[in-house]
Amino acid sequence: MRLAGGGPVIPNFGQGSSCVTGDHVFCWGWVKAHWGDTLGPALVQHIELTLIAVAIGFAIAFPLALLAHRYHRLEQPFGTVAALLYTIPSLALFQLLVPFTGITRTTIEVALVSYTLVILFPNIMAGLRSVPADVIEAAQGMGLTRRQVLWRIELPLAVPSIIAGLRIAVVSTVAIATIAATLLRDGLGSPILDALQDPIPFKTEIYSAGLLAVALALAADTVLVALRHVLVRWPRNAE
Amino acid sequence: MTIADVANLHTFVDAFRFIGDNPHFLLEKAWQQIELSLAALALAAVVALPLGVVLGHFHRFSGLAIGASIFGRAVPSLVLIAAFLTVLGIGFANNMVALAILGTGPMLTNAYDAVDGVDRDAVDAARGMGMTGGQVLARIELPLAIPLLFTGIRIAAVTIVATAPIAAIAGGGGLGDIIVNQASYRLAGVLGASFCVMLLSAGVFLALAALQSAVTPKGLRRSTLGRAPSS
Amino acid sequence: MIRKHTRRAAKAAFAISLSVAILIGLLTAALARPAHASPKAGPTIILGSKNFPEEYILGELYKQALEGAGFTVSYKQSIGSTEIMTSALQSGKINMYPEYTGVIVQDVFGHKSSPKTASATYKLAKSLEAKKGFSLLNPTPFYDTDVLAVTNATAKKYGLKSIADLKKVGAFKLGGFPECKTRNTCFAGYVKQYGLSKASFLSLGSISGYAALDAGKVLAADVFSTDPPLGKGSKYTVLQDPKHVTGFQNVAPIVKTSLLQQLGPNFTKTVNAVSKDLTLDAIVAMNKAVEVDKASPAVVAAAFLKANHLK
Repeated sequence: MRLAGGGPVIPNFGQGSSCVTGDHVFCWGWVKAHWGDTLGPALVQHIELTLIAVAIGFAIAFPLALLAHRYHRLEQPFGTVAALLYTIPSLALFQLLVPFTGITRTTIEVALVSYTLVILFPNIMAGLRSVPADVIEAAQGMGLTRRQVLWRIELPLAVPSIIAGLRIAVVSTVAIATIAATLLRDGLGSPILDALQDPIPFKTEIYSAGLLAVALALAADTVLVALRHVLVRWPRNAE
Repeated sequence: MTIADVANLHTFVDAFRFIGDNPHFLLEKAWQQIELSLAALALAAVVALPLGVVLGHFHRFSGLAIGASIFGRAVPSLVLIAAFLTVLGIGFANNMVALAILGTGPMLTNAYDAVDGVDRDAVDAARGMGMTGGQVLARIELPLAIPLLFTGIRIAAVTIVATAPIAAIAGGGGLGDIIVNQASYRLAGVLGASFCVMLLSAGVFLALAALQSAVTPKGLRRSTLGRAPSS
Repeated sequence: MIRKHTRRAAKAAFAISLSVAILIGLLTAALARPAHASPKAGPTIILGSKNFPEEYILGELYKQALEGAGFTVSYKQSIGSTEIMTSALQSGKINMYPEYTGVIVQDVFGHKSSPKTASATYKLAKSLEAKKGFSLLNPTPFYDTDVLAVTNATAKKYGLKSIADLKKVGAFKLGGFPECKTRNTCFAGYVKQYGLSKASFLSLGSISGYAALDAGKVLAADVFSTDPPLGKGSKYTVLQDPKHVTGFQNVAPIVKTSLLQQLGPNFTKTVNAVSKDLTLDAIVAMNKAVEVDKASPAVVAAAFLKANHLK
């Protein structure tokens, strides 16, 4: 139903609280009101992005590392490619992938996975290599096959390095995923970029999204430390 | 822009052409980035190095030193830039501080590890000879700590230079200005600017490696391994 | 030697962790796909919006109205600036988005100057897009042009009324979003048409021009005429643009013509009904709600559509 004289009805959108319009440092009210439509979904998206990237990165890095451990000639090329990937600024990598995978989450994931590979591969390799040669010799002397040596001795001893790598990978991924928002509004970088665009950059949104990102990284780090304790008895150095 | 365009490698070639066509512009942008990075590195060094060295000398607060690294990695650079923008306003200062925080972690942790890990026997011997704490620090611990300390500075420097492009999101200038502006400079420009960033990072790495060699006392030069930085 | 049960435990742990990792990856990838209500028959409208709040509002308005009318919409918010949107449209990554008529003529098709009226601009834009296989639906009553703003203090200091007056200032910094640098409707146009040879461009990234003006980082900033800070009692002075460098800028949705034909007349009717109600007052009120009162674009759009029975 139009107003007489034409022209749409402009509903009252409600006034922002004085905290918000007055640019106060932190507006709890806004956070509570917008958890459901802005911060919550962004956090969930960010967790998704990170989990997928690290899971796929690990699924790729692990067999690659085993391969390189077995066939030493592969280590150099794998390592070099990985190091090169890492120097590409994340801001650019997202855009450079667009012609291949479009402006989609796939593009973001490919970039994130690349960066996790760079971290996980060397760490898994370092872990595998950390086993003292005489331990391996002794085991082989006892008649263990190469495969048995790998699974019963090398891998268990490599766990701390691998978990260390996972910790760095997860924390880095959480950080790089915030940049993904420059490509597609996905993850916690999205509220931050939106807040920066306002005539007066919106403090509350920046701080709350930022705190969530930091909390996410620290929580993931803690979980992995706990996982390390659960997985393995700390191998004694003298062995 | 289709796969055909990129798979043709013509974007790759165009990227080099972009670099060739715009040397002054790229140099100007690169210089902006170096300025920002240098300032950030200096700020971080002024805070992190003395703190790390002193804490390492007294073997105290190792948790702080290690925690600084974890914290520095856990806070995304975008968050730092945005947060400091609200406090320091737009411009050089907020980007500098944000990047400085990124660099503090590696420098603090390595400085601590470097001094803390110096061979206890050497320190004891020095004290036995009557040196004061300060003298031990200056004549024994610091020289022995240089390799690891410098590694920390190198990691911080490369991290800062490689992350600086993000400052362009907050009007910070540098090569990031080109990277966020695919609309004006096309994919070739973005790729070209990225190459420049990579070159810059590599250059900083090599330059500091050379500097490290020069500064390391001769006796230590071959064994820069020492102890690996903790993660 | 590692004890037997530790070995076995570690081995099992590895197998488990690896499979869990892969499982999580696959599951999350599968579940992360947004749950659609069972899609109605018909092709999917892939709707995009540009990277600033007014476009988010427009995107949400069209998205919700279309979904209410039974269409399947996949909405991608904030894809990028005009240039990115154009290539996304051409490569089929999106098939609809709201664009500004003058931008189509001057930036997308590179015409050096703008037609003399709003309706001439719309007609020209429509015919230019039609040749490429895209249709322009009805334009909105409101227009939103780029404008050059300075602080009131600056205007007073140099006696600035129109963009041409900036020549008096000598060398100065002009701030804007990155793409502004090379656009005919922005920095490149200002410099050329008004002879501002001493002006230098400062790329603001994601920062708004008002923030840069307040901080004194730039003398003048490129902003939008429907921005809340430019309302009554504004702290900023908008410089006049007698040469119409920034053109006429009503919004008109661009839609791939083949999609339009597939979707039928109800689609066009729904979209046009929304566009009809977007007056200047309406869009300014919605901009204020989002940018000043920090409401979310989706909620604001929903309220507007509901109040006008468009949903």
